Amino acid sequence: MTLRRENSSGCIGRQMATVAMIALLLCSCQSVMPPIPGQQAPDSPAPPASDAAAATDSRGIVPERVPNLGPNVPLCPGPLPIPYDVKCTACASDELLCDGGDHHLPVMVSPEWRLYGLDPQDTVMHFDTLDGRTLVEPSNCVCLYAPRFGAVRSVTRLAGSEQIDVPNGMMLPVVAARQQELKIPATSLQRYQARGEVGRRLPEDFVVGVNPVPVSSMLRLVGFQDTFLPFENLRVIRQGIYESDEKARLAQAIEAAIVWTDVQALQVTIRGEAAVALTGDQRAQATYTIKDLRKPCLRVIKVASTQTARPGDTVDFTIRFDNLGEQPLGNLVLVDHLTTRLEYVPGSAQSSVETHFTAAPAGDGKTAVLRWEVEEPLEPGHGGLVRFRCRVL
Amino acid sequence: MALSIVFSIAAGQVAAQTPSPAFRPPMPICYQAVEFIGPPGTQLSVAAQGAFLEPQPLPQVASLLVGPLYRIRITGLTGEAGREVFPTVELIDRLCPPPGQELKFPIPIELTEDDLQLALSGHFVTRVIYVEDPALALPAVGDPEHPSWFDIGPGLDPLKEAKHWGRPIAILRMGGRLPDSTRGPDMHFLAGCPPVVLHGQPRRAPIATAAATSAPGAKP
Repeated sequence: MTLRRENSSGCIGRQMATVAMIALLLCSCQSVMPPIPGQQAPDSPAPPASDAAAATDSRGIVPERVPNLGPNVPLCPGPLPIPYDVKCTACASDELLCDGGDHHLPVMVSPEWRLYGLDPQDTVMHFDTLDGRTLVEPSNCVCLYAPRFGAVRSVTRLAGSEQIDVPNGMMLPVVAARQQELKIPATSLQRYQARGEVGRRLPEDFVVGVNPVPVSSMLRLVGFQDTFLPFENLRVIRQGIYESDEKARLAQAIEAAIVWTDVQALQVTIRGEAAVALTGDQRAQATYTIKDLRKPCLRVIKVASTQTARPGDTVDFTIRFDNLGEQPLGNLVLVDHLTTRLEYVPGSAQSSVETHFTAAPAGDGKTAVLRWEVEEPLEPGHGGLVRFRCRVL
Repeated sequence: MALSIVFSIAAGQVAAQTPSPAFRPPMPICYQAVEFIGPPGTQLSVAAQGAFLEPQPLPQVASLLVGPLYRIRITGLTGEAGREVFPTVELIDRLCPPPGQELKFPIPIELTEDDLQLALSGHFVTRVIYVEDPALALPAVGDPEHPSWFDIGPGLDPLKEAKHWGRPIAILRMGGRLPDSTRGPDMHFLAGCPPVVLHGQPRRAPIATAAATSAPGAKP
């Protein structure tokens, strides 16, 4: 309770201080802010200042004059100037242009390879495993600072005699429409009652399986017109090696991929293959053996060439995918449903592996869907790169 | 009815009422860069120290405080020699650009030729500038230097309409008021002359190409 009072009083104190500063600003028109440090001051000539009330024109307006904006003249006392470096505690997401990941409904693939739940802004890659399953792996989400503005105009006239009343009795025919929407259920209901604990395993038993894939997989940019671009200077992009010091740069994309999460534990390999604990108890030692895990695992990383963009700018996107599993993956298809503010630049798609690329409008007619069908299966430890260019609308 | 529409969004009231402290933290006192855009030949004067500063050609970038009302003067209208318009600008929210790029992303305050002519003919023009909601963004290919806008009919609140499409961030009003030539400098008309920093005309960078070394080309 005491703490709440302290916070409340502190907040009131800050508000009073804020009101006092605003009142000071609004009441003291004797000053003009000096230029913000580091910003350009107006370069127009500065005639000598004169008393504002001394000379007025026929309409009562003081003739133009430019006050002395010299940095050595503190014209505005108090806490001002306050530059732009106010902490942005709640940056609005409406100023960001994001692309990538899997939003809203999860993307699912039908047996006919038809995608459901592919929303604008989604970037996913689906593939087939050896046991016949079709899995979907989303990429990370890349966000650019690219606010776009609009305006609403209202024109009124301060004359009541010209007010036009809204006519009554207007009929608006409504066309009967039937909407059909097929959605795949995303949740399931478990009706079985829990009978009890079937087994208990101590936390020491859970040893993370480390993929026995090669540590490095340097990609040759076959088919690219250029070598790696400056914004692709990440080891995870160039060599497929994820390092912790690059985590901050990759995290700038707001949502790092789950596969980037580091799991640090004792790692045991036998003859280059992953080993799992055969016995798990509370003793210090454990017996390891080789087990054929055959887990499929795909990593998809998306990066952009810039972090800010204005409407009209072009942005390069690079997507790297790696098979981190222990079995080859087939029928890999990379799908990028561009958001409405990204327009694909025709002819800009490139890839380091043999792919069949298509760019087609989406069902809504407003966005585009980029699709790369990798022609060859992807062996464990191998990967590929695709690159394309978009124009910010 | 027309009067009630105008007074429902009287100058200064929006910033005093929004944002709600229940949802957002108190707005800090800070500058926000804006870019005044107007027809070719028009000039802008900002009220400061009880008078209007030297006219500057549009477009013009300036830093304004969020909250106070600013009175500006527009001169040099085509075909309207000697006539002036005195709009007001009120910032009710701010942007959060990356540090050091505040002047690269100003709020566009556009005064179109049509707006100025309507104001000269006695109409009251209100423009509410908003940050577009990305979820509602249309793939419109317009002029990047001139944000898109639309008219609403009589009886509709532009602020409410702007909230429907995004986050209102600035209000531009023009028409209706002229300085009283018999009273001399009118501090009330000049809206208190809050601090302003002029940065001159925007230095337009060329349209950013993603990678100068990379030419688009399909894989063979």
